[in-house]
Amino acid sequence: MTSTADRPPAPEHSSGPLSPHLQIYRPQLTSVLSFAHRLSGIALSVYSVVLVAWLMAAAAGSGPFSSMQAVMQSLGGQVLLGAGVFCFFLHLCGGIRHLFWDAGYGFELTNIYVSGWAVVAASVALTALAWLASSKM
Amino acid sequence: MIIRSSSQVPRKSLLERFPVPRNFGVSPRSRIVPGRTWPAPEDATRVQTFDIYRFDPESGGNPRIDSFEVDLDDCGPMVLDVLIWIKNKVDSTLTFRRSCREGVCGSCAMNIDGTNWLACTRFVAETRKRATIYPLNNMRILKDLVPDLRHVFAQYNLIEPWLKTRTPAPEKERLQSPAERQEIDGYWECILCFCCTSGCPSHWWNADRFLGPAVLLQAWRWLVDSRDEARGERLDELEDPFRLYRCHTILNCTRTCPKGLNPGKAIGGIKKLLLERKT
Repeated sequence: MTSTADRPPAPEHSSGPLSPHLQIYRPQLTSVLSFAHRLSGIALSVYSVVLVAWLMAAAAGSGPFSSMQAVMQSLGGQVLLGAGVFCFFLHLCGGIRHLFWDAGYGFELTNIYVSGWAVVAASVALTALAWLASSKM
Repeated sequence: MIIRSSSQVPRKSLLERFPVPRNFGVSPRSRIVPGRTWPAPEDATRVQTFDIYRFDPESGGNPRIDSFEVDLDDCGPMVLDVLIWIKNKVDSTLTFRRSCREGVCGSCAMNIDGTNWLACTRFVAETRKRATIYPLNNMRILKDLVPDLRHVFAQYNLIEPWLKTRTPAPEKERLQSPAERQEIDGYWECILCFCCTSGCPSHWWNADRFLGPAVLLQAWRWLVDSRDEARGERLDELEDPFRLYRCHTILNCTRTCPKGLNPGKAIGGIKKLLLERKT
C-alpha cells in the first residue's frame, strides 16, 4: 500500500485521451438550429455567387440568359433553388431570434424551444409561400 | 417537442447522435476501440445493459466501451447506484468521482445517453434500454469516467471569483438589500460540475481560449453582486473576441444544467453590460 506522498506528481498537462464530444452528444433543437444557422449562412454566400452569375447572364444577352434559365429550370436547378430559398428564410428567421437574445429576451428554456420551433415552422411556411407566389407569376 | 425544464428527458429523439463517423476527427490515441461484455449474475431478474467508456492509463491501450449487464432489482434507482453496483459486484477497477449522492457536490457529472447530467440525480428509469455513459465531453481523461478538470478550473481562476472591494471594510459585514441579494439568485447555486461547459460546441472548438458557460455564469454572479466594486476591471478582462464572444448563443448550456440554472442568460447579460458601457 503506497501513501499519497509516494505517488509521482501529476503532470503539468495531462496526456490522457480526449473524451468524445460531437461524436456522442445528443442532437437537440438548440445545437441543431445553431449549426443550421451557420451552415445556411455559408450556403447563402455561395448562392450570392449564383445570383451574380444569373445577373451577368441576363446582361450578356438573350443567348447566355436562355441557357442559364434552362439550367435553373432543370430538376437539379429547381432543387438547388428551393434549398436556397429555404436557407434564406431559415437564416432570416434565425437572425431575428438572435436579435431578441441580443436585446436580452427569450432566454428561458420554454422560450428557447418555442422560438426555435417557430423558426422552423416559419421558414418552411415562407419557403412554400415564396414557391407558390413565384409559380403563379 | 417543447422542453420546459432541463431535467426533462425527451420521449424520443429523431437522432441519438450527429451523423458523423464514431471516431470523426479523433486523434489516434483518443480513438475508441471495442471493449468486453460483463454478463449479468445468473440469478439476475431485471437486466439492463450499460455501455460505459473505459480508459486505463496504465495499460497503454486506447479507450474502449465495456458493456455491463446490471440487475436492476439488486441495485438502487439512480445511475450512480448502477456505477456503484458495478464497482462492488462486477469490476472493482471502474473509476468515477462521487461524493454527496444528492446533486450538491457536482462530482459525478458525466455524459448519460448523450447529454450531461449528474449520475446521482438521473433515474435509471429515464435512460435508454441500452444506456451509454461517457465522461464529460472534450476533456483529457485520467481514468474511465474521471476527467482532468485542471484546465476548466484554471479558467475559473481567471475571472477571480471572490469579492473585490476598494472602500474600507465596514465594522460589521457588507450589507445587501433583499432586492440586491435577489440579483444573484439563479447564479450562486452553480456547483461547478461543468456539465454546461463540456456540452458547449463553442468550447469544443475553442477550449483553450473561450471561457465556457460555467465560468462566464460565475463571472456574471460577481458582476451583479452589489457588494463587489470591481465591475469595470472584470468587464475589461472579459471583453475579448475569444474569452466571451466565442459564445454564439447555442444554449446547450441552459438545456443541460442539472441545477436548472441559465448560463445562456448570464452570458447575454454580460454582452449587454459591455454594450451599455460603450454607449
